[in-house]
Amino acid sequence: MIKNNAATILIYCSAISVTSLFLWLLTDLLIQGLPKLSPAFLFEAPRDAGRAGGIGPIIIATGWIVLVAMSAAAPLALATAVWLVEFTRPDGIFSRFVEFSIDVLASVPSIVFGLFGNAFFCVYLGLGFSIVSGGLTLACMTLPILIRTVADGLRAVPDGYRMVAAALGMTRGSALVHLLLPSAAPALTAGLLLSIGRSAAETAALIFTSGYVDRMPGSLFDSGRALSVHIYDLSMNVAGGDANAHATALVLIIFLLIINNAAIGLLRHWRKQHIAAS
Amino acid sequence: MKNTGFSILVLATLAAIGWTFLTPDALRNGPTVEKLTLTGSSTIAPLAAEIGKRFEMLHPGARIDVQSGGSSRGIGDARTGLAHIGLASRALKADESDLHAHTIALDGIALIINQSNPVPALGRKQIVEIFTGKINNWRDVGGTDAPITVVNKAEGRSTLELFLQFFGLQGTDVKPHVIIGDNQQGIKTVAGNANAIGYVSIGSAAYEAEHGAPIKLLPLDDAEATIDNVRNGSFPLSRPLNLVTHGKAYGLAESFIEFAQSDQVHDLIEAQYFVPIYR
Repeated sequence: MIKNNAATILIYCSAISVTSLFLWLLTDLLIQGLPKLSPAFLFEAPRDAGRAGGIGPIIIATGWIVLVAMSAAAPLALATAVWLVEFTRPDGIFSRFVEFSIDVLASVPSIVFGLFGNAFFCVYLGLGFSIVSGGLTLACMTLPILIRTVADGLRAVPDGYRMVAAALGMTRGSALVHLLLPSAAPALTAGLLLSIGRSAAETAALIFTSGYVDRMPGSLFDSGRALSVHIYDLSMNVAGGDANAHATALVLIIFLLIINNAAIGLLRHWRKQHIAAS
Repeated sequence: MKNTGFSILVLATLAAIGWTFLTPDALRNGPTVEKLTLTGSSTIAPLAAEIGKRFEMLHPGARIDVQSGGSSRGIGDARTGLAHIGLASRALKADESDLHAHTIALDGIALIINQSNPVPALGRKQIVEIFTGKINNWRDVGGTDAPITVVNKAEGRSTLELFLQFFGLQGTDVKPHVIIGDNQQGIKTVAGNANAIGYVSIGSAAYEAEHGAPIKLLPLDDAEATIDNVRNGSFPLSRPLNLVTHGKAYGLAESFIEFAQSDQVHDLIEAQYFVPIYR
């Protein structure tokens, strides 16, 4: 009985400490960042190395970087996951090698992706410091998460579906398009939103690829500063930049919360629909 | 029902891909712009970006892109041509004679300790012995009985190179406990550790000290670590902030360098806590 109570208290304590950590962080950001936050801050360009002005161009640049990253990563990840789960034997040498590569990629620190992106996209491919370089670097970085979540989603589809499809004489292609992918769509969406969250919060992979320029990007081949790079620079390199760093961090956190909630909401909606339909 | 959700997803993905590949051309129908890329010292980068913005206003066809990353990178990028202009917060070395340096401002390097540390000043020999690990307790230099936390700059940072050169040290001599990158990181490390000693750009340190960060700037050779003393040359540990070009600058790069050296940007230099040069 005592043991049981102790365990309960311990579990409650850890749950409370996790939430209080989050609340502490959020309150700190709200206290320090909220006074600076205004509509003008969201739309204006930064002035005086970011101490004054807003973060308009930086929000836009971040959006473009994430969009490029997801458009490059999503089709690749989808195709790889489909191949891994549906079109190859899990114990084959090549598929084992692909799985191994994904595991290695997933554990590589983001600064390594940054250096790789700088060497490959910026210098070797001649894309320079640009939103495209940054986006493609992020695509490389988020590929493992995306492939994993999509593959897990496909694996979770009961084998009965595949057998029924085969029994009905459906080709593998049409079974995939009409049956398996729709069933795995929630997983794909969740993976996509997770990757968007991770991309939007990335600093190390972006500082040497999409760069440091805080002007409104005119095209995808312009350099653009991401929100997290802006926060890093303001807090680590610009004397007196802390207030705006906090406000920018608050904006970033709000974006991430919205994305996360959208992911959860979408998943719930889909699950309900799925159960109703099947 | 299931299919609708899926088709929306596919359409959205396709639209995103289409948008991504079509937009650059659609957005690029403005007048042709000439782009100037500057990379290097994180100390100069914010200043260079501000000068760039003013320069762009005067030259509508110009785009000044500033990237950060450290002086070594600025030197390297200027050499390989990745950047039109490199940013280096130190003078050029003997083996860099293939490059041209254009000084735009001066900066000093100050040793900083936590405000709660009672040590009023350190001699050159004491500083050397602290950074090489021979002295590892504040008691030995007139402070309280507490271990010293040595905060050093990361490799490739010109602040580190200048510091080593000034005190006649080799990089391997220094026994750091904490290695930092940018100035503010150094200030925050020392502000948060009562027993730390580090060195950073005087401008940022003076600004943070004035605005309540618990740090103290140590005098060097009896000269107070102030921007005024950097300006009048009495503070010994100072450095030029340079724009570096490979070969002679021409075209847009030349006019940008001229602009950055003119008195039209002195207010910007002072706003970033550096010392403008009056020619």
